[in-house]
Amino acid sequence: MIDRVLLEQIRAHLSNVLGERKVLWEKTDLLPYTKDTFRNPRGEDFRYWPDLVVLPETTAEVQAVVRAAAKHKIPLLPKGGGSNRTGMLVPIHGGIVIDTIRMNRVVEVSVPDLYVTVQPGITLKEVENHLAGYGLALNQEQGSFKVATVGGSISTAGFSRKHQKYGTISDRVMSLEVVLADGSVLRTGPKVLYTSTGYRLPQLFIGAEGTLGVITEATLRVEPLPEAKAVVLGFYDDFWAANEAAQRTMATSVTFVGGEAYELLDGGAWGAPPGKNGVFYVALEGTKGEVEAQVAFMRKIINETGGVLASEEDALRLFGKYTEQWCGARARPEIDNCFTTVVPMEKLKEYYDRLWNDVMAKRGVLHVPGVKLWLDVGRYRLAGGRYFIPQGEEGWTEYQKAARGQAELATSLGGSISGCHGVGLEHRDYLDLEYSEVALDVMRSIKKALDPDNIMNPGKMIPARKRNHH
Amino acid sequence: MLAASWGSGIMNPACSARLGNMDSELDAAIKTSEMCSLCRCGCCKDECPMYAEMLEESISPKGRNVLFRALSQGLVCPDSRAVRIAYSCLLCKRDEISCSAGLKNAQATEAFRQYLVDHGIPMLPGHDVLVKSLENYRNPWQESKAARKRWAKEFQDRRVVPGKTKTLFYVGCTYALDRSLQESPRALARAMELFGEDFGMLLEQETCCGSTAKRMGHKRLFEKLREENEKSLREARVKTIVTACSGCFKTLKQDYPELDKEVQILHSTEYLASRIKDHRQELAPVKMKVTYHDPCHLGRYMKIYEAPREILRSIPGLKLVEMSSSRELSRCCGGGGGVKTAYPEISLAIAKTRLKEAEATGADALITACPFCVQSLRAAAEATGSKMEVLSLEVLVWRSLSQGGGQRN
Repeated sequence: MIDRVLLEQIRAHLSNVLGERKVLWEKTDLLPYTKDTFRNPRGEDFRYWPDLVVLPETTAEVQAVVRAAAKHKIPLLPKGGGSNRTGMLVPIHGGIVIDTIRMNRVVEVSVPDLYVTVQPGITLKEVENHLAGYGLALNQEQGSFKVATVGGSISTAGFSRKHQKYGTISDRVMSLEVVLADGSVLRTGPKVLYTSTGYRLPQLFIGAEGTLGVITEATLRVEPLPEAKAVVLGFYDDFWAANEAAQRTMATSVTFVGGEAYELLDGGAWGAPPGKNGVFYVALEGTKGEVEAQVAFMRKIINETGGVLASEEDALRLFGKYTEQWCGARARPEIDNCFTTVVPMEKLKEYYDRLWNDVMAKRGVLHVPGVKLWLDVGRYRLAGGRYFIPQGEEGWTEYQKAARGQAELATSLGGSISGCHGVGLEHRDYLDLEYSEVALDVMRSIKKALDPDNIMNPGKMIPARKRNHH
Repeated sequence: MLAASWGSGIMNPACSARLGNMDSELDAAIKTSEMCSLCRCGCCKDECPMYAEMLEESISPKGRNVLFRALSQGLVCPDSRAVRIAYSCLLCKRDEISCSAGLKNAQATEAFRQYLVDHGIPMLPGHDVLVKSLENYRNPWQESKAARKRWAKEFQDRRVVPGKTKTLFYVGCTYALDRSLQESPRALARAMELFGEDFGMLLEQETCCGSTAKRMGHKRLFEKLREENEKSLREARVKTIVTACSGCFKTLKQDYPELDKEVQILHSTEYLASRIKDHRQELAPVKMKVTYHDPCHLGRYMKIYEAPREILRSIPGLKLVEMSSSRELSRCCGGGGGVKTAYPEISLAIAKTRLKEAEATGADALITACPFCVQSLRAAAEATGSKMEVLSLEVLVWRSLSQGGGQRN
């Protein structure tokens, strides 16, 4: 138990330094911080509580909080939009949540050098809206685009469906400002995209899940808004037919922004001819002439692979569904979960066959209708899907086994457990399927060097060391 | 390592306010809170004007749902912090557009407030005044019943004759009693006269529709007001009720379960749009660039987006430009849900944001169709020294009519 007297002292101190309005401590106010969108056993929604929540607005305020926590070795949980899927934000050891949502300013926009510097709590959508005024774009679009913050996205190594042309957030980071576990402020280097001087420090904090420090400022690469945009979409007999077109496209030199291949349950509502249950699309951006040529090229591929071209209007509607369907996706009585595994393309069929017919089936885990097979088309090789978590305590155990089985399958095929949702609590205990003990030890060494007292988001991402390992 | 000091979700023995008897609205709210707690995506925060202003996780539909769920499980008490969260909502429904699960968050928030009221949780300063006024004067603005006919001196002969008069102009408390807004009911009444409408009013006998009480969670008071009002509306035995207040319109149509089946209820924008079709030649040019603000109660609640725009497009010389958010995505003016009374500064800040959006269009005037929106947006224009004229649609229509057909009349 936390020492109540100490907690009261820290609360008073932080209220004094930050102001009353920026410190939350009453139980009612702490409720939203009990968990993120992580799947936990039924009835455990409110199992873990933070002790305090702070809402800093500046780097100096973050520093003050970290210093106070470091002094007493109190756990710190940096928070962005709060939409994480894997439990990164569950306060399993209590402590202080550093909620960055009020750090939502744009600090600098450089048109000639094509970058934007922002505070971490600004959402991806807000960044795009702001940049549009300068004729620029960050080009980061994930399902949680309306909620996810820059800090959270970097810390999760989040995905972007525009990755094929513009990369993910991991490819965008030029420079970071981070408050380290001892309260010192790290500037990772100049605001440049390329340098051959020193370790690539910004990379350390990408996907670090808040275990190494609190990101307080990020400089990200941006691009001019394209002159033209288009979406070319084809309806296919099924997912596998759509996948063939996707594979063929990936083998050409066409530069598409991103694309997907997936199953479509209610195809009629989206203009699909009867019996066409597969979709493949690519988004294209560039100069007008470039996009016109790419559209013609893609239409040809779709025709040649047996696809039925969707009207421009239907294509745009289906394209828009991406960020819309994410919102409210888990507000349904059946508890489901999703996965974002990365699988080599040559193993995709084997992966899905074994996953649904063996790994999931033997645990009684069934796919959510229409979300059985889903491929993000492009170099990231993201293969996703959704499944129902069986009911009851036994069902929960079976789900855990199925999740592990899935991780075993993905890694045995040379892939990765989680392509964009991070590790958090969900995948922590089988991360050794993906990384050797040597690799995990390197991670532990980095963690120890930067956070010797283990106060930064403790218990997340890195699994405990195996006892017999030397 | 420190452990969480609150333990693991054990019911706080000091808090005995578990949910007791539930009615269907509370039941629905609990289901909403359960579904939302399972999801917690937080998309409702995006474009939520209250959240944007306060930047707190709790001040969002998600925050309220999670709180109501914890409350219904007896995990937290309905303390002053809970009251603050429950009432920090404009009930604007913008979030519901984004929620693919279709959660009815505004309805759940009303039920949450009702739960607090039913448990005798002390009201917020300002809300108690509104409630007392409703109890004593049958309007939220502490005005006598007689004051309701003050604006209508030139229409004293327009008293409804039960069974004879065809159309009732239901003015509503705010248009009838706020002196700064009375040009609006006057404009509508004059237009109705010009159209030769056989209409009447209840004048001082008109009673509040109960919207304010309902939005603030005072369900019993609402039911009382509804009964009284419904009785007087029925006794008028008219075919059509026209109201210019979006709040009254929503309430009469959605919260009075039977009335809509018996009598046609029209918002003034629907009424004017239909009449203007036959009186186009009487509309004189109004050389102005305007933008239109969709009131939440008219737009997202009642889905009336086209009628006001149709009217604006039919006025010669008038140019309509849209704001960056409009129709179902329209941003709230900050005047809804009791926020303006309890948290006037936040309400004003939200109104200023909306006004800025209007200014960015380069329009000369901001037109809307709800007294609360006119009040809020005008206050924002005054506070910022803006040149933007804030007008109700009725006033604008009368400007055009009075130069055209009205002048000849």
